[in-house]
Amino acid sequence: MIVISYALNKLLTAIARQHQMKERLTEEDMAGHALSDAERTALSAGDIGRLYELGANPYLIRRVFRRRFPI
Amino acid sequence: MAEIVAAALTAHAPLITGKPDVSRPEQRDRLYAGFHELRRRLAAARPDLLVMFVNDHLQNFAYDNLPAFCVGLAGSYEAPSPGGAGLMRLTPRTLRGHPEWAMALLEAGLAAGIDFAYSHDIESWDEMSVPLSFLLPEATIPVVTVYTNCAAPPLPLPRRCLEVGAFVGEFVRGRAAPPRVALIATGGLSHWVGTPETGRINPDWDHWALDHIARGDVAPLARLTWEEIERDGGNGGQEIRNWIALLGAVPGWKGEVLAYEPVAEWITGCATVWVHP
Repeated sequence: MIVISYALNKLLTAIARQHQMKERLTEEDMAGHALSDAERTALSAGDIGRLYELGANPYLIRRVFRRRFPI
Repeated sequence: MAEIVAAALTAHAPLITGKPDVSRPEQRDRLYAGFHELRRRLAAARPDLLVMFVNDHLQNFAYDNLPAFCVGLAGSYEAPSPGGAGLMRLTPRTLRGHPEWAMALLEAGLAAGIDFAYSHDIESWDEMSVPLSFLLPEATIPVVTVYTNCAAPPLPLPRRCLEVGAFVGEFVRGRAAPPRVALIATGGLSHWVGTPETGRINPDWDHWALDHIARGDVAPLARLTWEEIERDGGNGGQEIRNWIALLGAVPGWKGEVLAYEPVAEWITGCATVWVHP
């Protein structure tokens, strides 16, 4: 079963389409998005591994949190 | 009737053009040489139209609307789009589409039970722009795109990609014009992008795929499951669907691998393959 979080992907798509890169997301970034507590925590921490587990698309994780990747 | 005068499979990793300086020079030079040889052969084949099997990276199709297969009806493409240009370090340029031909493909597909979506406005990123920066340095030939969802699972079966490609091949050959058509599929090979394994490359799987392509033995590729590709080729390896579609269009044709380099700095197993009868 493929895990998809529409809320995460909707938010990350919006940020990616503005060609913004982030270390972590702020409350302002997340305002108005129907995110779970776990999703908010992972976005606030820039926790790329946890975001993947929670169903964020890895291409979007890569684009938004590029600086979090060692390569 | 038209004929398929050239067919090629290539990598499209954005860093191929975006960060040539970080790769090992000998790897980069061998891969670039593969692209240059493809360009020479493609030019010699004198195509009138390029049909490209490519995939989106969520710049066009996000989670509000995700077609499995989509025909590009665009009259022109910015390649790359200004927004995508930074990562690829390519100067945006305009490529002509061929909306009449693409519309005929769309209509014929739907009439035959191939449920294509369609788009009049495609944002082009690395999937077109990186390989065409090598293969079509002068924007002289119109381009038609067939997009397959390779990046936002669940994805269409590789077997279905083979069938869709076979349909496109029959459609090409069944039209009087343009008379000389080239097929290009881009993506792959193994790479992990944005996952916990980001940076991994699996040359064993890449060679397995290339060996089958060299023999014209596409059936084992078409039998691959999403899980198998995810495990052995990574989420980026799912782009092999584009290659499988092209191979479906030219049954019995074999691949000549001009270059294969697992480029760690570009986090991708990169290949250029000439496909011939």
